Amino acid sequence: MIKVDICVGSHCSLVGALNLLDNVEALQLEYPDQIVVNKVECLDMCDDIKNAPLVKVDDELITAAQTQLVISKVMERIK
Amino acid sequence: MSKLKGIYTDIVKIRRMVFAEIARLALKDAECEEFDKIPYRIIDTEEATYRSSIFKERAIVAARVRMGLSMDYASNQEHKLLSEGIREFLAEEGQLKEPLVNVIRFACEKCPTNAHFVTNNCRKCLAHPCSIVCPVDAITIEENAAVIDQEKCINCGKCKAACPYEAIVNYERPCAAACGVNAIESDEHMRAKINHDKCVSCGQCIIACPFGAIADKSMIYQLLRSIKAGNDVRAIIAPSFVGQFGPLVSAEKIVAALKKLGLNEVREVSLGADFASLHEAELFAHDIPDKQPYLGTSCCPSWTYVADKHVPEVKENISESSSPMIFAAESVKADNQESEVVFIGPCVSKKLEALSPKVKDKVDYVITFEELAAIFVAAGIELTKVETEAEIEDASYYGRGYANAGGVAAAISQNLKEQYEIEPEISRADGLASCKKTLLLAKAGKLAGYLIEGMACEGGCVGGPGTLLATNRGAKYVSKFADQSPYKFAFENKNLAKDKN
Ligand code: SF4
Ligand code: FES
Repeated sequence: MIKVDICVGSHCSLVGALNLLDNVEALQLEYPDQIVVNKVECLDMCDDIKNAPLVKVDDELITAAQTQLVISKVMERIK
Repeated sequence: MSKLKGIYTDIVKIRRMVFAEIARLALKDAECEEFDKIPYRIIDTEEATYRSSIFKERAIVAARVRMGLSMDYASNQEHKLLSEGIREFLAEEGQLKEPLVNVIRFACEKCPTNAHFVTNNCRKCLAHPCSIVCPVDAITIEENAAVIDQEKCINCGKCKAACPYEAIVNYERPCAAACGVNAIESDEHMRAKINHDKCVSCGQCIIACPFGAIADKSMIYQLLRSIKAGNDVRAIIAPSFVGQFGPLVSAEKIVAALKKLGLNEVREVSLGADFASLHEAELFAHDIPDKQPYLGTSCCPSWTYVADKHVPEVKENISESSSPMIFAAESVKADNQESEVVFIGPCVSKKLEALSPKVKDKVDYVITFEELAAIFVAAGIELTKVETEAEIEDASYYGRGYANAGGVAAAISQNLKEQYEIEPEISRADGLASCKKTLLLAKAGKLAGYLIEGMACEGGCVGGPGTLLATNRGAKYVSKFADQSPYKFAFENKNLAKDKN
């Protein structure tokens, strides 16, 4: 299982986490047995908003996460 | 609906960063000079990313800051530092004035207006159905491809539909395509220009422009300064608010966060919707069809402006009832006479409704959800972690449903059915173009006896330009929250009796 944690705290949501979540959830529907998506509370790494949104793909932390990048990180792991 | 609605782009990012910066400076009571730094904080690269030059990018951010403070667009044409202009503006009236929605002219990239073009997908085929179906004989088959004579073309789209290679495209100005009342024209430099005699301030062009060249004004600064000054500021929050701040942020958390920000109370505007649906049912029962032929709902300001500006003959049949916002504000002010009221919603045109003579003493500020999200970030309020208090139970199931297209008519017709045994015919319009069409039908006498619901935004208020969520997601949250109400119908809502005394 590929685990994707998406922070949906105030900072991350303001700068695109909700749209990113939409896109990752759509991908999850295509690979229901391989991806799990978790919405998580503020990870306390957003003091500088330039780090947001924050996403973790398994243990890899992605700052300033953009949809394209997150999706490609997930796809790398898909079997 | 504009293709850009609900997609997070760099335009959205810059807009929100400007809001957050204005909020940050308002909260710390910063000197005006601090505003001069905003364009440099937001565009902090060495070279331009989006435009021809970094200076232009910063100038556009400065224009956004001015309008974010509610200054007139004209202030961008004056030779003044950002901070100087702001100081003068705040010392003088310091308040929002019409026009609300403006093109940042030097940010407009002069997209071509509506036209059909042949692309190089064209194979110059033997059949060339394009030229055969063209009703005005505008297409000739030249040496390499079909060519459309732009002088003759009437943009009917028949050639585009007939081409087997999808070789013909219809190129539209995104802002103009989003405007259902054709208010976008061109100035002498071919830049978009809003005809304010036609514009109904729905805000959809703000979302639609792929260059972020259109902006409305905001009252973030004025609201936050008032809270900081220790005034008794109370919030009323529109029915579409649930879910807008993320999937882990319940309605109760939003209320708790607003209190943390310094608001003394938060009421659901859905409570006002319950008042409004009862009132409009009463009007309908008494006046239709004897005194007037049909009844149009009153809650969406842009819908009523479409009637004012485009189909004035029907104006008197749009309900004189007050909008849910007004009822909710009245109920707050009745209990707290010295208070100020801020309406928080998905809506741009409510900012104008609040300026009208009937409303200006009731609603003091109007803020969108998007603006509020930026304020929370500036204030360091983490929504996922606030402690909640009691559940909120201000409004009925049908009142909460006002945010979705169809919800207003459903609420009113349920009241009519239960209280007056009337089951009216219903006509619904969402989206400006459909609003205008419906009003024209009404004018032609085709909707006699109808209850007519009009909403300027597609999908209803959840499709508003001030939302953060994709429209369908917002709609789901609204329905779920409506299900949790302890009251089904407006007339069962115990809070109404309490408020009426
Ligand atoms: S879409 Fe934007 S850039 Fe294009 S004409 Fe309209 S305002 Fe100008
Ligand atoms: S909101 Fe995502 S890390 Fe704080």
